[in-house]
Amino acid sequence: MAGPVVIGRILTPDTLAGSALLFVPIAAVSLVAWQTVGPAPQGTVTHYLILTVAVLAFSTFTGNSGILSFGHVAFMGLAAHISGLLTIPPAQKGVFLPDVPSWLAGTDMHVLVAGLIAVALVTSIGFLVGIPISRLGGASAAIATLGLLIIVYGVIVGARDFTRGSQALIGVPKTVDIPTALVFVAVAILLARLFRDSLSGLELRAAREDEPAASAIGVNAPGRRLFAWTVSAAIAAVAGVLLAHYLGVYSPREFYFQITFAILAMLIVGGMTSVSGAVVGAVLVTVLIEVLRGAEERVNAAFFDEPTVFGLTDIGLSLAILGVLFWRRNGLFGYWEIEELAGGWRRWTGFERGPPAADAVVERVSGEGALEIDGVVKSFGGLRAVDGASLALRPGEILGLIGPNGSGKTTLLGCVSGALDVTAGRVGLDGADITAMPAHMIARSRVGRTFQNIRLFANLTCLDNVKAALAASGARRPANGMEARALMAELGVEDYAERRAGALAYGLQRRLEIARALALEPRYLLLDEPAAGMNETESDELLGILAGLRESRGLGLLIVDHDLRLIMRLCDRVVVLNKGRVIAEGTPGEVQSDPDVIEAYLGQRRAARKAAAHQP
Amino acid sequence: MRYPKLLTVSATAALMAGAVAVSGPGEAEHHELKIGYAGGFTGYLAPYDQPSLKGVQLAIDQLNAAGGVMGMEVRLVVKDTRSDTAQAATVAQELVDEGVAAMIVSCDVDPAVASGVIAQAAEIPAASSCASTPTLPAAVGPYMFSNYTADNLQGAVLAQYAREQGHENAYILLSRDTPYTEKLPEYFGEAFEGMGGNVVAVGEYTMGQQDFSAEVTNIKGLDPRPDIIQTSAYEPDFPAFIKQLRAAGIDTPVLGSDGIDSPTTFGLGDVAEGVVFSNAGFASPGSALAAYEMAYEEKYGEPNDTIFTATGYDLMMVIAAAVEAAGSTDGSAIRDAWDGLESVQVATGVITYKGQGRVPVRVVALNMVSGGERVHVGDFSPDPSAIPAP
Repeated sequence: MAGPVVIGRILTPDTLAGSALLFVPIAAVSLVAWQTVGPAPQGTVTHYLILTVAVLAFSTFTGNSGILSFGHVAFMGLAAHISGLLTIPPAQKGVFLPDVPSWLAGTDMHVLVAGLIAVALVTSIGFLVGIPISRLGGASAAIATLGLLIIVYGVIVGARDFTRGSQALIGVPKTVDIPTALVFVAVAILLARLFRDSLSGLELRAAREDEPAASAIGVNAPGRRLFAWTVSAAIAAVAGVLLAHYLGVYSPREFYFQITFAILAMLIVGGMTSVSGAVVGAVLVTVLIEVLRGAEERVNAAFFDEPTVFGLTDIGLSLAILGVLFWRRNGLFGYWEIEELAGGWRRWTGFERGPPAADAVVERVSGEGALEIDGVVKSFGGLRAVDGASLALRPGEILGLIGPNGSGKTTLLGCVSGALDVTAGRVGLDGADITAMPAHMIARSRVGRTFQNIRLFANLTCLDNVKAALAASGARRPANGMEARALMAELGVEDYAERRAGALAYGLQRRLEIARALALEPRYLLLDEPAAGMNETESDELLGILAGLRESRGLGLLIVDHDLRLIMRLCDRVVVLNKGRVIAEGTPGEVQSDPDVIEAYLGQRRAARKAAAHQP
Repeated sequence: MRYPKLLTVSATAALMAGAVAVSGPGEAEHHELKIGYAGGFTGYLAPYDQPSLKGVQLAIDQLNAAGGVMGMEVRLVVKDTRSDTAQAATVAQELVDEGVAAMIVSCDVDPAVASGVIAQAAEIPAASSCASTPTLPAAVGPYMFSNYTADNLQGAVLAQYAREQGHENAYILLSRDTPYTEKLPEYFGEAFEGMGGNVVAVGEYTMGQQDFSAEVTNIKGLDPRPDIIQTSAYEPDFPAFIKQLRAAGIDTPVLGSDGIDSPTTFGLGDVAEGVVFSNAGFASPGSALAAYEMAYEEKYGEPNDTIFTATGYDLMMVIAAAVEAAGSTDGSAIRDAWDGLESVQVATGVITYKGQGRVPVRVVALNMVSGGERVHVGDFSPDPSAIPAP
């Protein structure tokens, strides 16, 4: 029984359908070409298939992490050179590589064995290199991958005992034909889709959309990036081995900028963030090149005695990229996969995405312990945004945190959730010290939060937003559609499961963000201005939902808001912050009549009125 | 009954011939000599393969005007590799499919080998327009030829000149970034030592590094002080190096190779004064190259500005000579005849393939930069025994 269940979970119908929709047409056309056309077009098809594998390697990392990679060609080059060295016949090595060590001089391996060794070695190297690179984000990671490409090129040129320096390796067996390449295209498509659709892939895509928000639901972004990087390095190595045994002759320069940009062009045209985009991009660019190449020859033959028109191919390719960037900034496929666009297949197979929402299985948290903030200080340069604030939140309690603008409320939330490093003081969670804990570990310790400016994973579906949190938090609930729908139903947003989160109305986004935080099974939930931008009706509905959460789950709520009506009606206790210090604490009634609070608010208002009166 | 049938067959044949003639590339093989050119006409090889193509076409014009080769009209089939190695193989296969009798391939080693192995498999002779790595033909097989002045030949000529000028101690500056910038200075060093000279030190640079102060300081401190410096650096490295060298007060003569045969070098002013470099020929008045330059200007309406047009012209003339000598368009017959060619008169002088392992011996010209002009030092054909083995 375990077998089919695991297969069903890992190899979902979506993954299978998406892979098949991409692979079957490619396979059909390639195999027809294999049987019918001459060696020249066969070469073009084989080369295209190999580039498809390479594009998928880029896509697996860049698509899921959002970090543009220039470095994967380095893995291709390494694998190509390793596999080449192991397979060049000893006689040829004696002539062209006289300096190789004796253990290598005699090797005459089968391409498959050599390829496996090359992929294994390069994957290990990829893992090691990935450790520092995965800790970087955004542009600095992209620059690091560029550095990797340049360094590896230098190493291959410099390893003159093994390579011919900048000169080409010669005598590498040419064994890759259309069927061989097709097998690896199938493997690469399946691997790329498996990773993308896996929970690990989902967590990484969440981090791609918004890394701080991903940390707040427990995503270890560097860890996920490292995994994606290693998988993609393996796919790149496969592409390198294939290219090596297709070309038969190549120098280190073959694996440098020119091919990097050719692959990136395919990725840009198809769409960086989708596997389907990568595959279709490779098809379109190849077809475009072949059409333009033919057109160039015909133009030359028709209008000129001697060939005079050159470069039509490059001009056309450049225009195509510019056109795609102009009309579809995210590539032809954007964030979609092919089976999502060709959604009809689900009706044919009778498979409907997502079972109906179950009733939420709500478990009350225990009433023991507390989230304690003890003398926390946070300085930004000379400014002490939080200046020795102390408060405690107990499970089952709703605590309001108010204060004038700039009083340090959001900063304090950041200190508690681990998004900001605390300058001094201590944050305790049920007796444990979590002051120095990274944000994703605090989230996994069941402290949830929402953000002042909504931070959903805008390009993921609403369902995937919640599912990512279920997966990343390590909650005891399975990270599947049913659980996610149940949580969404609790916040009344289950009808929007398949929509992109970024397309939701503002109030619904707020609710979805709370549903996502609830996936952590939080003991404590920190809400930063949950009612901001809501009208009175929406605010009242939210009030009901929040009160209900306390009733059903027994969690502790810390609410920061300017909506004093909401705070006063909802909260058991209210803490007032001013200039980073707690100036009052008590029931809503006590706080409202506290003279310090009145001065903090009204004093400000008076000052503001004065300033306004002096305006000409 | 027999006549009508024959008539039908002839009519069909005529129709087919007509259809073929209309549809372009055709089967009129007995009346034309089809030559393929798989070159990098766009991309990084364009500065070399485009001029070569112009020279090839000029040669074809002249051959056809003189009645063709063995009465066959020469027709060139041109395909762009976009300077891409994989494309070079595909395009070469397309040329094989079109039935070319010989193939000209790219100016750089990688695409040349990629195209060459295809031609080799089809037993069609091929030659790189201007790749200068002498190991290229051996790397591919018996159907692969070189055309351009090989690096070891240039190195030997420069060494011979240096020794004739009485230089004893040489400093070599090379970059391992390309075979050309690495191997040519090494060949120079080997030949120089073979002729009794002494290589004091070998410096290395990275292409595009701009700052040569470390190398210049090193040269200053050498004992014995080098009396000749050889490098195959070209733009932007050569100008940077020579400026910094002269600025440091080192007036040791510098030998370069054909990579610096460009207007930049002649525009460098005093620092480049006296630099001697090798290339494939100098158009002294009355020479074949001078006549070629006139023909070039007549056809294209502008003066020739690079030697690569002339070497392209040379290659086409060599192919024509090989076909004439073979008396056939059969690939293996052309190959054998090509391998035995001796003293073929071409634009840059004479070319000999016989006994050279498909790497031609051809004239190497030495030129001096003087007053911003190219001054001919002389044409050299070194003793084959003095040429370092590739």
